[in-house]
Amino acid sequence: MRGMASSRAPQVVLADDDVLLREGVASLLARSGFEVVGQAGNGTELLALARSARPELAVIDIRMPPGHGTEGLTAARVIREELPGTAIIVLSAHVEVNEAMDLLAGGERLGYLLKSRVTDVAEFIDTVKRITAGASVVDPSLVQELVRARRRRDPLDVLSPRERQVLALMAEGASNAGIAQRIFVTEGTVEKHVRSILTKLDLPESETDHRRVLAVLKFLEAR
Amino acid sequence: MLRTGRAVRVDDYRGVPGGEPYLREGLRSAVGMPIHVNGRLWGMIAIGSGEGPLPPDTEQRMTQFTSLVATAVTNAQNRADLMTSRARIVAAADETRRRIERDLHDGTQQQLVSLILELRMVEATVPAGLGELRSKLSRLAERLAGVSDQVREISHGIHPAILSSAGLRPALRALGRRSAVPVDINVRIDRRLPEPVEVGAYYVVSEMLTNAAKHARASVVAVDAETSGGTLRLRVRDDGTGGASPLRGSGLTGLKDRIEALGGMFSLHSPEGGGTAVCCELPVPEGGQPGAGHGQ
Repeated sequence: MRGMASSRAPQVVLADDDVLLREGVASLLARSGFEVVGQAGNGTELLALARSARPELAVIDIRMPPGHGTEGLTAARVIREELPGTAIIVLSAHVEVNEAMDLLAGGERLGYLLKSRVTDVAEFIDTVKRITAGASVVDPSLVQELVRARRRRDPLDVLSPRERQVLALMAEGASNAGIAQRIFVTEGTVEKHVRSILTKLDLPESETDHRRVLAVLKFLEAR
Repeated sequence: MLRTGRAVRVDDYRGVPGGEPYLREGLRSAVGMPIHVNGRLWGMIAIGSGEGPLPPDTEQRMTQFTSLVATAVTNAQNRADLMTSRARIVAAADETRRRIERDLHDGTQQQLVSLILELRMVEATVPAGLGELRSKLSRLAERLAGVSDQVREISHGIHPAILSSAGLRPALRALGRRSAVPVDINVRIDRRLPEPVEVGAYYVVSEMLTNAAKHARASVVAVDAETSGGTLRLRVRDDGTGGASPLRGSGLTGLKDRIEALGGMFSLHSPEGGGTAVCCELPVPEGGQPGAGHGQ
């Protein structure tokens, strides 16, 4: 919780090879209570920057020079290893479950979001703050794709529509309190739903929201 | 023969300087016939005799044979050239698609996102008294977001980035999740395959899923892919209405061309009312790099 708890603005570094977009996100974050302490145009620059600035948060485009592949994921892995205190958000034009699981395997305070999420300004800032404060977040569109995938003998058929909704929010990284807020019920009711879902799908009880995200993602991917 | 390109005859090696090695082999006489392929001296065929000179019509009789050989060699060469040029055409088309995808992704799409972002920030600075202006800007941003989504879908359709970054297995699983018809996917491939092979196999599955949902009214599609003994075997079959024909100008014709251009085999079985099945076999070099990008 370092950074968010103090009165000082959380420090953030950005990495994206598109300067215009990077500046746009920088100015959005600056207006929203973050201090942008540096910007990078590729993975190597980002690593140098992160090592010297030791920021609370790094927002990284997944696809950068030289290979325009998944350089952002690679850089995120190194940052996680060297600076475990830095929250990381990886932005991608296409969200893919293997990339999400790859990133989230690194621990807590990680986010994997569709790049265009930055244009839902208020929601994006809210998500960034949640991740900086400890949450792990997976883009809702990816979770929707996983939940909506049609299966012949679908293990999800045992869930009620409400439970499916709760499962999706769990996969997105919402806490019980967050889920309660989203579907307008009490936290107690959410807890009941969660327990029922875990039993029905034979999923382990997770001690943290982060583990829960990973477990649900893994289940949805494999079904 | 190298000098003249013509037939050569030796009636008696005993009178020819340097003829000893032939004599030791028991040869007395010989006739060498050139084989010309596409106007160039490609090789020769010689026959010899241990007795007297070869008959005078030997050259003429052998010409019939050498021209047959020349035709066969020409055919084989043309076929090989055709195969490599087909493979090159497919590779060039793939490269073009990748470039278009990259231009869309790194150019158009990024610009759209940054435009929308800027518009959103302008929207946020509109004074409270100008509610109508604010909501107009908001609607503009939403419409632009719709355009941005479309561009994303188009660029993904042109060349799915996941195929290059993570390989066939995750790409096929993603394809299956996005399918309107339930898909059973069984992929037993533990390494990355050459890019043209991955792309070819991906398009086969993609086209079959589209066909199953759009035309065949199928309720399930089974996809099996495995590599063994230097061959990728891909089988896709649905339980739909069948009757798909490459002649009817579906995307299946293009697939057959693509697979055959890679030296592979493509067969379609689609009896009326009996579902549609496609089987492909593609040669893949053994070894290769281990699979990557499956998460941990």
